[in-house]
Amino acid sequence: MRLLLIEDDPEAARFVLKGLREGGYSVEHAADGRDGLFRATEGKYDAIITDRMLPHMDGLAIVQVLRQQGCDTPVLVLSALGNVDDRVRGLRAGGDDYLTKPFAFVELLARVEALLRRKAGPQATTTLKVGDLELDLLGRRARRAGREIDLTSKEFTLLEFLVRRAGQVVTRTMLLEGVWDLQFDPQTNLIDVHISRLRQAVDRGFDRVLIHTVRGAGYVVRDDGT
Amino acid sequence: MAPSERPPFSNSFRTSAFRLAIAYCLLFTVSVSALLGAIYLITGSVLANEVDNVILIELDALADEYDREGQDGIIAELTRLRESWGRAGAIYLLVDPSLAKRAGNLTAWPFNGVPKERWLEFDIEALRDGGIVRDPVRARVVEFPDGYRLLVGTEVSERRQFQQRFRSATLWAIGSTALLGALMGLWLSRRLMARVRAISTACQQIVAGDFARRLPVGGSRDEFDALAVAVNHVLTRLDQQTATVRATFDSAAHDLRGPLFRLRGRLEELQGSTALNAEGRSSIDRALKDIDSVQRTLAILLQIAQAESGAALAESARLDLGELVQEITELYEPAARAQGLSLDCDVERSWVNGHRQLLTQLLANLIENAVNYAGPGALIHVTVRTNAEGVRLQVADNGPGIPVEDRERALRPFVRLSSAKSTGSGLGLSLVAAIARLHQARLLLEDNAPGLCVVVQFQATRPENAPQKHAVPALPTPRVNATA
Repeated sequence: MRLLLIEDDPEAARFVLKGLREGGYSVEHAADGRDGLFRATEGKYDAIITDRMLPHMDGLAIVQVLRQQGCDTPVLVLSALGNVDDRVRGLRAGGDDYLTKPFAFVELLARVEALLRRKAGPQATTTLKVGDLELDLLGRRARRAGREIDLTSKEFTLLEFLVRRAGQVVTRTMLLEGVWDLQFDPQTNLIDVHISRLRQAVDRGFDRVLIHTVRGAGYVVRDDGT
Repeated sequence: MAPSERPPFSNSFRTSAFRLAIAYCLLFTVSVSALLGAIYLITGSVLANEVDNVILIELDALADEYDREGQDGIIAELTRLRESWGRAGAIYLLVDPSLAKRAGNLTAWPFNGVPKERWLEFDIEALRDGGIVRDPVRARVVEFPDGYRLLVGTEVSERRQFQQRFRSATLWAIGSTALLGALMGLWLSRRLMARVRAISTACQQIVAGDFARRLPVGGSRDEFDALAVAVNHVLTRLDQQTATVRATFDSAAHDLRGPLFRLRGRLEELQGSTALNAEGRSSIDRALKDIDSVQRTLAILLQIAQAESGAALAESARLDLGELVQEITELYEPAARAQGLSLDCDVERSWVNGHRQLLTQLLANLIENAVNYAGPGALIHVTVRTNAEGVRLQVADNGPGIPVEDRERALRPFVRLSSAKSTGSGLGLSLVAAIARLHQARLLLEDNAPGLCVVVQFQATRPENAPQKHAVPALPTPRVNATA
């Protein structure tokens, strides 16, 4: 997987590059907007990560130019700006995801992974399966080992979100954005309580746990196999 | 801002322009009435004097004739007068002491006995226009030494008619003056109202976030244009200042978040290194948590700044507050239950114009506050209701509440009322107040007896963001009230 990072802060770039490379990606780096746009149009990348405020050219302008040229490479916009509407503007300009600095590196990693998977395309399907857990998306019912699981509508949406991204780390902010459609940073850890209730329903009484906690990052639904 | 404070432009009759016009109209009508009344009275008395003078002169002349020529002379004179073309409407009658007619153009003495008044008025019957008409007569009588009496008078029907016509003309004139004045007043007030309404609508749109809008300048260089130009000047100035402040905040955010990001990066790198013992790892964990908390405070400060600048209104849309409240209450409910509190909501579909993300933050802050301060076992009840004023959001708990004297203070930045719980930055309610202000909503801290009841009262919205035609809110004023 080839990624392009457009970031003018050398220290931040070093840290992000190191982390992404450790995560198994091959990453190229552009230090200003003009160079970034040039590389983005020339090279073949699976995803682009760009800062918003860059010398010569703004990050959002890069995204707009790319989209006008018909390039559909997923773009993750990083921003140190404070405006609550920056995210909306970033997405409107054609960005696929938006992350405000500072962020935990796992957050970036999880989002990059989600972008790359999304590029692979969502499969049009009516059932999802992980191990012996089966989700009927039309009837909005979940069964585990053939037994119906009693879930509220929100719990089903939460489980569906996780199962669709089976094997991927999903962070708490991603869940807030994706399941609750909320962009805010709650003081208390609300998501953990919801997950633990979901666990009660899905994993209790089974030897094989499907919903795993990734320490310091979030959650992953995964069938570890036997 | 209560709806009663809104200027009611719906009614033309309540504008000051109309009232002024009506006052002028009344004054003018009274003056015209006085003038015409005076003319009427003066004309009447002049006409009456003229009639009386003629009668007196003729009476004197005839009395002289009587003195000189005696009865026969005057009878001859009266006959001559009757048969010649004398003055118009002249009436003569000479009677003997028994009041029997001796000469003149009246058929008989028109009175019973001898009247005491010097000036007499009576009606005579005359053949005119093929019928009998009664004509008024004004007359004077002299008594001669031999007991004969002479009556000289004038038929005054024309004078009466003239007076009547004058009177009705006067009344018509007064009436039309009043009507015309009232119509002018109405027209004037409508015209003024249209200008004022245009200005109010523009102001309202500016308050609602359209900061590029300016007050309309008609080009007639009247006092309204002068006012609009002056206000537009102020608006441009404010716009420049807001832009400067926003740019400052953006660069402050950028300059603070950059180093924080680098700090975080280094700490995370350190955390990943294997050379670290458990103690070092936990220090780094704590440092990362501190960064999170700094970041959160910074985010709240920026949100307050953004809400206060009003720029966020550009992204506002019509949304169902009831649905949003339900969503957030459900999000917080399990966490509240885990802390031994009960959190529920009772909502109805209630539309407000708002910034979804900031309203989410407002709700989250109110619920987090209630969860943090109401204490274990407390009940937190969130309601959303559409009422006459708009939409009322209420977060009530049965915890210790806030004493009346502390309520104003509770809304100030960095104020924590309870030292027992030092979680949070102390900015929560300030942010709530700023977001409420941005939405032109009133924030009230009320007594839930026992407990605290935080009320956010939104104003009524119209569908499609349409400017409200009738109820125009005034420019925003601090709307943070603490009431008992």
